[in-house]
Order: sequence, then structure tokens, then C-alpha cells
Amino acid sequence: MTYWVEEEEKKVHGKVYIIKDRCKQCGFCIEFCPQGVLQQSEEFNAKGYHPPKLVETDEKKCVGCGFCQMICPDFAIFVEKEEENEERD
Amino acid sequence: MARVGVFVCHCGLNIAGVVDVKKVAEELIKEKDVVFSTTYAYMCSDPGQNLIREKIKEHRLDSVVIAACSPSMHEETFRNATRDLINPYRLEIANIREQDSWVHESKDATEKAIKITKATVEKVKSNEELEPIKIDVERKALVIGGGVAGIQAALDIADAGYEVILVEKEPSIGGRMAQLSETFPTLDCSQCILTPKMVSVARHPNIKLLTYAEVVGIDGFVGNFNVRIKKKPRYVDIDKCTACGDCEDVCTVIVPNEFEFGRKPRKAIYIPFPQAVPAAYVIDEQSCLGIAPLRCGECAKACEADAINYDMQPEYIEEKVGAIVVATGYDLYDKNNLVEYGYGEDADIITSLEFERMLSAGGPTQGKVIKPSNGKEAKKIVFIQCAGSRDKQHKPYCSSICCMYTAKHALLFKHHVEDGEAYIFYIDIRATGKNYEEFIARVMEEERINYIRGKPAKIYRQGDKIVVEGVDTLLGKSVKIEADLVVLAMAIVPRNEAKDVARLLKVAIDEHGFFKEAHPKLRPVEAVTRGIFFAGCSQAPKDIPASVAQASAAASKVIAMFSHEKLEKEPIVAMFGDACTGCRTCFYICPFNAIALDSKGKAYGIEALCEGCGVCVAACPVGNIKLPNYEDEQIKKMVEVILE
Repeated sequence: MTYWVEEEEKKVHGKVYIIKDRCKQCGFCIEFCPQGVLQQSEEFNAKGYHPPKLVETDEKKCVGCGFCQMICPDFAIFVEKEEENEERD
Repeated sequence: MARVGVFVCHCGLNIAGVVDVKKVAEELIKEKDVVFSTTYAYMCSDPGQNLIREKIKEHRLDSVVIAACSPSMHEETFRNATRDLINPYRLEIANIREQDSWVHESKDATEKAIKITKATVEKVKSNEELEPIKIDVERKALVIGGGVAGIQAALDIADAGYEVILVEKEPSIGGRMAQLSETFPTLDCSQCILTPKMVSVARHPNIKLLTYAEVVGIDGFVGNFNVRIKKKPRYVDIDKCTACGDCEDVCTVIVPNEFEFGRKPRKAIYIPFPQAVPAAYVIDEQSCLGIAPLRCGECAKACEADAINYDMQPEYIEEKVGAIVVATGYDLYDKNNLVEYGYGEDADIITSLEFERMLSAGGPTQGKVIKPSNGKEAKKIVFIQCAGSRDKQHKPYCSSICCMYTAKHALLFKHHVEDGEAYIFYIDIRATGKNYEEFIARVMEEERINYIRGKPAKIYRQGDKIVVEGVDTLLGKSVKIEADLVVLAMAIVPRNEAKDVARLLKVAIDEHGFFKEAHPKLRPVEAVTRGIFFAGCSQAPKDIPASVAQASAAASKVIAMFSHEKLEKEPIVAMFGDACTGCRTCFYICPFNAIALDSKGKAYGIEALCEGCGVCVAACPVGNIKLPNYEDEQIKKMVEVILE
């Protein structure tokens, strides 16, 4: 779908930070992310769990709602909002 | 002893040209109980009606048979003309036109006419004298659809002092007219002339406006419809929302705006367009990150008016109304069906309504005419009329408004882009409205738009340009235009939801999906079902003046209905005896849900709902149900006479 708008629409993105060693693989963040940004990784952390990682296909998919940060029982994930100008396609 | 009079109509040559009417009259006078018979050129004329009245008095007739056209044409005329002399149900029509003269050759036709008339005499002799059933009217109307037609109908009914419920599926009223830039032929700004009406709807004390709502159930009958309306959760309190837009700023979800045909983005919380009525935001359930407040909740945090409520549930409203106006409007023909013009595949080929948005000051481009593929100004535009209309492969009918709006588009384009060139491919120019032809002439001559008579044969992309190849059939030459933009004047089709509405209302739609009026010329706003009326493009493609006129016509029909103390209904309804065995055969078979069961499981009829179809009479295994004036004995006698 091509937009005809003149001015470039500002789209809010979030940057997800994962503190891998705190994770105990409850899977809440993966389950509840409304944008489906997260998935389970193959790697092990210090506790022997698989921490989450970002789905690589679209880095801009995260809109920074912060739900993962709110729901994580171990404070292992947080989000920073960043605004940028998306290029007109 | 009955005293029957027989009146045979010539109907000009419609009947008399085939049937020997004199002979019919002569044969009928020989029948037992027939004391008088005659023929007349036009029984339905005033002198014809007077003739019947005089003869009733002169011969002290107590029953009348009129051998003429279908009872659907003039039964009412004749019954009304003689109402003070005989009971209306002692007058019957023998149909010797539709069922005889129009379908048979001379000799057989006369014989059949005699038999039909004799059988009717046999019936009328044992007809009971009946009185019409009186039914109450709920003086409240339902209008389905909040486009210009629905708005006009609602305002007219409400101004007459009756309550109106206006149901609109979208978050705002306004419909298609709200999407247009300017209107032909006067070039008024469409929204500027529509928004005052929209505001009056919102402010009118007699109008209850239900937006983001759908009618999900209708039963009942004229004067007494029960309507069930589903109000979809808007998640924003209309009364509290001040339309400040703070919520929109913080919303992180961006999706295409349907009002702009996806040519402009919107947030998951949005207002369809700035002049929306009601002026309140709405949350799009599908794209919102989560209605559960924990998930995002940014908009609720930003809302100072505290208008956002994630706990809203669908609300069901039950209303009782007396009349229904259907104004569900139109859509454009599905673009996927027009692959020959490349629509949907190429960004520089757009529809007429998309072009309206492009021309609109409030649209995605703020009124700039651009070439969507590169965003630069479009200098050369090809307009193609009848894209899908007047085409046996697509829609055979004329969409009625495309000639005019394409001329308007070309004119507005020339005003926006001074050095622009516009070409219009057309089959014919149909400009039949007031001042329409003058408008077309102005566009052709003053604005120097190139009208090319013909249909394009081929449209393809070549580099930066869209190449349109066709034949100018007036010059007999082939033409090849390298355009920046191609605008297709798509065929008008009924809204998809019209089918569902038709099913709910049990009204007919035609082969193209438009609502079918009771009579194409004389009852153009009424459905066959009493109490249901049509307005706007749901009935046929039409322009704004015609939609508004039809809406006012529908409203006046509703007002006329509401001005009666009681409505009258045919007394030919199923009558139940005492012999019911409780088998429920009739209960299940009745197409009008007019049969109910009492506490002992025995069936009884609901007079007001019964249409007198007689299905239950035939189905009852113990013969417990009767239809007055269609009793078994009467029908047996009629059959006997016919088989003599």
C-alpha cells in the first residue's frame, strides 16, 4: 500500500535490551508481545536457560509499548523509545 | 340468494382484441344467481366505476365480479369505489388479461375467459363480508445508513415531529459524499454543504444517532417492527471525548486510513476525518496493540478527559419502530475484476474516488495532483469512463454519474495544474440533469479537455509513463497517450452489506444487488413489503440531487403512514378451530412466524403477522385452519365449474 502523504510520518520505534543472565525462560515476553518481536534463542545463559532474542526480519517492528518490560518477573528486559524518520517508499 | 353482477372490461384492445368480451357477458348472464352482466371499454376509468355503482343500485346487487386485469392492479380501485354500497370482500376480480388474453389465441381465450369468470362468480357467492383488521403504528422510524440519503430522510422525518433512529456502520456519518472534493455542476465544496446537515442530525432532539452500529435483527411487520441493533465497542466515550488528538499523538500503531482508501496513514486510535459527526475518536480493535490496558495503554494515559475505556463491550439495543428507510449506499466495483486496465498493479492507475481524495484539500496530498509512483505533479492525465459499467463482462448497466464527475475531475485538474493536459475516453456523454449539459459543454470548450470517443484497448507501463492505446472512433485513428496518471471511473455497485440487510428485512434485490422497488415507475421508493422504503444508491446508481429527492420522498411516505391513527390490514388471515392436535406442522411451516403455541401446545394465529398465504391451511392434517373466502367448499366449486 503506497501512501500519498507529503510529509514523512514519524514512526515510533523501541529498542529492546535483554539482560540475558537474569532470564529464567518463563516465556512471558515472547507470549505477550503484541507485535511478535521476540523469540526464544538457542544460546544458554549463566543459569542454563534460553533467553529471548529479537526476530531478525524486521528490526523496526517494535513500537516500544514496554509491555515486555512490565511483564518480565525478573527485570531482565527493558525498552527504550526512539523516534526516527522513516523513508518514504 | 345472491345477486351477482358481472362486468367485463375491454381494456382497450388488451382484452377485447383477443377475447370476445360480448360473448363472455352473454354466457355469464345465463349463470344461476347472475342478475346482470355488461361490458365496458375501460372499467377502471371514472365512467366505468360509476357504471358499476349505478348497476349495483339499479339491480340491488350484493356481489360483483369484474373480469379485467390482475387484481394487483385495480382490485383496490374497485373495492374503494363501491365501499359504501357493498362489502369490499363481496367484490372479486377475474383476471382475464395477464392469465388469459395476453397469453392465448382468440378462440381458446374466450372460452377460458368464460371459465375464469364463472369460477369467480361461484367464489364470490359464498364470500363472507369481512372488515379490515386495524393495527397500531409505532410512530418511530429507523433509518439504515448515514450517507446523504439517510441524513436527509432522518432530518425530514424528525422535522415532522416523529422520532428517528439513525444507524451508521462507520464511526462517523457522512458516507460517500463526505469523501468527495467538489460536487458537479456547481462546484460547491462537498463537505461544506454536507457538514451542516451532519451537525443538524447530531443536534436534532428527535434523532437518536447510533454510529459504529449495525442492525442485526428485524422482525415484526408494518407499524410494529422489532429491531435489534449492535453497537460495536468504540472504546472512547463520545460524550467525554473532546477530539483534542492527544491520544493520536502517543499511539504507536500506524495503519492505512480507510476513509482515504489507504492513501494516508492513521493511528489505531483515530477520527476518520476532521469534520466527523460525532466528533469523537475511536479505537480500531483490530490494530490496537491490546485492548487490555496493561499491554500499551498510552492513549488512556494521554487522555485528559478520561474518555478512553478499554472495558467497553458490544451493546445490544432493542427498539420498536413503525417504518424503516434503507439507505445503505454504494461501493465501487471490485478493482480485482478490472485487470485489463491494470488497476491495483500500478500505483499510477487509480479509481475515481481515490482521485476525489487527491483533489480534496483535506486529503492525503492536500489537493495536489500527484503521480503516486514518484510524488511529482501529474501533468498528463487520462480519464477512462465506463470502467466496468456498460460492459457485459462486468456490469451491464450505466452507473449514471461517471460522465458528470469525470468532467468535473478534468476541470478541477486543469484548475490545479494550469499547464496540465487531460484526455477523457468515453462511450457516450450522458448528462441529463439540470444544467448538466451546459457543464459538459463548458468543460469541453472553455477548459479544452480532449474528449476521445472510444474505449482504450491497452494500458501498460513504459518507463516513467503509463501508455494508453485506443481508437478515436470519431476520427477513425488510433491514439497513443503517454500519461502520468490514469483515473478509472469505476462502476457503482451496492454495498456488500446490502445483501445482509435485504435478508434481515426480507425484501427483494435485483440481479445486480440493488434493492427492488415495488413498482419501477409508480412506487419507486417503496419495497413490496409494507413499511419499508429505499433511498439513495442502494436502490440504483444516482447523483446527490436524486438521492436527496428520493430520501425526502421516502420520508414523506413514512410521515404519511405515521399520520394515520391505525393502519388497516387485509382480513384474509388464517382462522384456527378447536380441533388442533398440537402436531406443530403449521408452526414450523409458517413463513411469517405468524403461528404461536398456547400453554397446552395448541396452535393459534397472530393476525397482524399473517399474510394469508394459506400454507398452514393446506398443511394442517386435521383441517383445523381456514382462510376466509378461500374455504375448501368454495375452491371445490370453482374447480367444478372450470371442469364442466
